[in-house]
Amino acid sequence: MNHRPFKILIAEKSAILRNGLADILKRNSNIPLSITDISEEKSLKLFLKLHTPDILIINPLFPTHERIKDITKEYDKMNVVALITTLMDMNTLVDYTDTITIYDEYETIDNKIINLLEKESDDDDSEQLSSREKDIVSCIVKGMTNKTIAETLCISVHTVITHRKNIAKKLQIHTPAGLTIYAIVNKIVDIKEIKESIN
Amino acid sequence: MSIDFNYKPSDKMCNLIARNHALLSVLTRFGISLGFREKTIKEICEEQKIDCQTFLSIINFLENQYGIERYNYKQGICMDTIIKYLKESHIYFLDYYLPLLRQKLEESLSNDAAESEDFKSIVLLYFDKYVTEVHHHMQYEDKYVFTYVSNLVKGKPTGNYSIIKFAQKHNDIGLKLSELKNIIIKYYPFNSVNNKLNDTLSEIFRCEYELAQHCKMEDYLFTPAVAELENKLNK
Repeated sequence: MNHRPFKILIAEKSAILRNGLADILKRNSNIPLSITDISEEKSLKLFLKLHTPDILIINPLFPTHERIKDITKEYDKMNVVALITTLMDMNTLVDYTDTITIYDEYETIDNKIINLLEKESDDDDSEQLSSREKDIVSCIVKGMTNKTIAETLCISVHTVITHRKNIAKKLQIHTPAGLTIYAIVNKIVDIKEIKESIN
Repeated sequence: MSIDFNYKPSDKMCNLIARNHALLSVLTRFGISLGFREKTIKEICEEQKIDCQTFLSIINFLENQYGIERYNYKQGICMDTIIKYLKESHIYFLDYYLPLLRQKLEESLSNDAAESEDFKSIVLLYFDKYVTEVHHHMQYEDKYVFTYVSNLVKGKPTGNYSIIKFAQKHNDIGLKLSELKNIIIKYYPFNSVNNKLNDTLSEIFRCEYELAQHCKMEDYLFTPAVAELENKLNK
């Protein structure tokens, strides 16, 4: 149920490149991004620790005493992308997940970022709930627990959880209170049925 | 107009608002009232006994999307000033803005349709639950985080708490408001045009933005400054 914005940290000395790249990334409206840019080694350390990003975009020439290898080891869930500003030996870039060059077009940069985040992001646009999913919604808004739902519908708790994930993904609604509004508006349940459980 | 422009102590306060009226509510939280005349930022800060450097850091942080390093921890933020500001912001959201939104929602969702009462009541219920969450979120900060930092500044014992614990679990409290907004946009059940509701939605957009800015300030201005202070004190 991941609906927080993805964090991207840009580490680059040049203000033009930092802000330019941040602006290009902001144009992508499909995935919510929270972009931060820094220009000093001290900030890099601090921000990695305090607000570990999903993607670190860093110029391989960025002055830092730490090797990329060590950074990726310490923050193993984070992707590290090299920001290439000059001719470079590709062999020196093996520790990076991907590269962005200053000659890349919007689409190229966008696609690279989307590919990196795709595993976690919601790209399923179909919104129609299956009838089974509607049953689940109806149970959730009546205040039933996963276990009770599983018993009522004769399915496993695991299946209930999978259904709930899919529902959240399809509707972009992540809270029971939000589902209640959805269910009543779409006449999946009647407000009288659930009056007690919502108060 | 330039995107990235830093305010200086010698700039006139009235120009600041002319450039970006969204900063009005920021001034309120600093206790600065309208009627600036020709006074500069520095003069008004002195009158109100506000640390000018911290005031500028906050304004410049809010004004610029990028380059956060330049407004933050290195320039010597006064902890008491920023904590006071953040606390006032909490009061602003909890006591003024969110109740105002609720009132607007209630007004704009009242119409002649028979089912309108049902829809209104579940939307308000959602909203009330959300507000309770915001209360908890902000109370936690008031009670634990700010107290911790105040003690740190005064050199009092702080136990083994550290700001990184806060940084890692702090979330953007504006996100759920966007869920409510999206539900209304997608599933508003009546076939009538509702200007009042549109206004309310715009207001929700604004509140969501202000809450996001608030959280961003805690994450990228306040937290790094505290971490720096911890480093200095070898904590």
